[in-house]
Amino acid sequence: MVGGGGGGALRRVGKYEVGRTIGEGTFAKVKFAQNTETGESVAMKVLDRSSILKHKMVDQIKREISIMKLVRHPNVVRLHEVLASRKKIFIILEFITGGELFDKIIRHGRLSEADARKYFQQLIDGVDFCHSKGVYHRDLKPENLLLDSQGNLKISDFGLSAWPAQGAALLRTTCGTPNYVAPEVLSHKGYDGALADTWSCGVILYVLLAGYLPFDEVDLTTLYGKIETAEYSFPAVFPSGAKSLIRRILDPSPDTEDNEHTFDDEAGPLTLNAFDLIILSQGLNLSALFDRRQDYGKLQNRFLSRKPANVILSSMEVVAQSMGFKTHIRNYKMRVEGPNANKTSHLTIMLQIFEVAPSIFMVELERSAGDTSDYNKFVNNYCSKLDDITWKVSAEKGKSRTSRLSKR
Amino acid sequence: MGCASSKQFKRAPRHGDAALLAKETTFSLDEVKALYELFEKISYSIFKDGLIHKEEFQLALFRNSNRKNLFADRIFDLFDMKRNGVIEFDEFVRSLQFFHPDTPMADKIAFAFRLYDLRGTGSIEREELKEMVLAILNESDLLLSDDAVEQMVDQTFKEADLNGDGRIDPDEWKAFTSMNPALLKYMTLPYLK
Repeated sequence: MVGGGGGGALRRVGKYEVGRTIGEGTFAKVKFAQNTETGESVAMKVLDRSSILKHKMVDQIKREISIMKLVRHPNVVRLHEVLASRKKIFIILEFITGGELFDKIIRHGRLSEADARKYFQQLIDGVDFCHSKGVYHRDLKPENLLLDSQGNLKISDFGLSAWPAQGAALLRTTCGTPNYVAPEVLSHKGYDGALADTWSCGVILYVLLAGYLPFDEVDLTTLYGKIETAEYSFPAVFPSGAKSLIRRILDPSPDTEDNEHTFDDEAGPLTLNAFDLIILSQGLNLSALFDRRQDYGKLQNRFLSRKPANVILSSMEVVAQSMGFKTHIRNYKMRVEGPNANKTSHLTIMLQIFEVAPSIFMVELERSAGDTSDYNKFVNNYCSKLDDITWKVSAEKGKSRTSRLSKR
Repeated sequence: MGCASSKQFKRAPRHGDAALLAKETTFSLDEVKALYELFEKISYSIFKDGLIHKEEFQLALFRNSNRKNLFADRIFDLFDMKRNGVIEFDEFVRSLQFFHPDTPMADKIAFAFRLYDLRGTGSIEREELKEMVLAILNESDLLLSDDAVEQMVDQTFKEADLNGDGRIDPDEWKAFTSMNPALLKYMTLPYLK
């Protein structure tokens, strides 16, 4: 840690006044900064553009960052914005004052079971929340776990797994070793972010309770070998509940037993049977005979997606919010409310995800308030922004999507 | 039922006929009269002959007289009790009573069953269900692979075809709808009350 910004003139990046360096790693410096418009203190991570390696997952990362800008969770460090200059990238983060959880363990050794439990619960709470939005950390370790002034855990760098790129990150940790990294990451499989984070949570729980790492070898080859076979042992004194939890998490072949969802047993979207689908037909909706207003009844639109339901949900949420709409989510339903509340009936749309066949989801949009032309405009705009989650079978019917969307 | 007198509804139902309909259906005399106003609007929308033709029915349902729809066809066919290609006022009232909020659930279940029994064989066959699934997918412009459609139909049959004979018979349909009451929601029109 370095003392102050020193004799150098105060620098400005956008609306931020940059102050002293508060942390330094191989690739990034973290500086204290202040938003000159609001006076708010922030942490500014400064990276060289050259340190960002060409990455296969660029689109994924971009998407995650756009989501992270919207995510608010008490145990996740807020990402305010990302700025870039010709040579540098500036990541503006919530300023957290309580230091790293890691330092606490270095200074005081292992934690009591009660403290470890509290931090672990907060960790899982934050991780689960981000996962439910489709964002993965992929580099969870005590150094990324900060403490605020109240002693609450804050997870830093969620969705920033590209900075520095994955390959570099492996060599960057304090010991220069990937002690927290899951076996499938090491084996270079296209890996599952949720699985990798779960593994890391297991290692973190071990560290909190033991005060040292389960996998710790000077020689990298030996270390990799031990991680891949999950070769570790518990200290003589170790809470038995935590032991069995860690054993289930640190399982090197998670494909064989489905324990990656140990803390994610939430029910999926409703499954529609064939008759549920049939009754959606306008041909069965005789109320249209009675309601003769020109913009009658319900206006409905549907699209299909083969993405996981939680990815569909978070994409729909992010897109609606980016259009200035408010969103409320319950289970796999989302209510989207228009921004202009001063109108007598402002646009309100209900969206729901249904599973129509294994891994095939149908999203239904239905207007519950607002006028027809507003609704149609919204649907066209909204659905075009959801293009990358929409499943398009090669259009044998030669109908364009837009003509479908503006039908009725 | 009073089919013989229905041809007299050329212009307006005679009081006696309206009273008979009120007596024989769930509707009150006033409601029958109100239904006549609706019937008149629909039946004079294109052909001006006091009978609802398929095109007029499609126009009323979809605001488009050319929109073909399997389910609208089925409803039309069931409403056209005499099977002469048009819906007369008498048929209109007697059919709409299935959609009345006070009509017993068993009658609604039976009506929906006839609707889905496309070929009138007394049971809903796998092919009929598949045909209906394809129709709703087409209507919604949703393209689903044949495998996925088959899976969906299989799954539904697994739940509904209790004796596994490849057909859903009326008793199985009754059991299935009592497990899935939302399937009959469209069979109740609050407007009719």
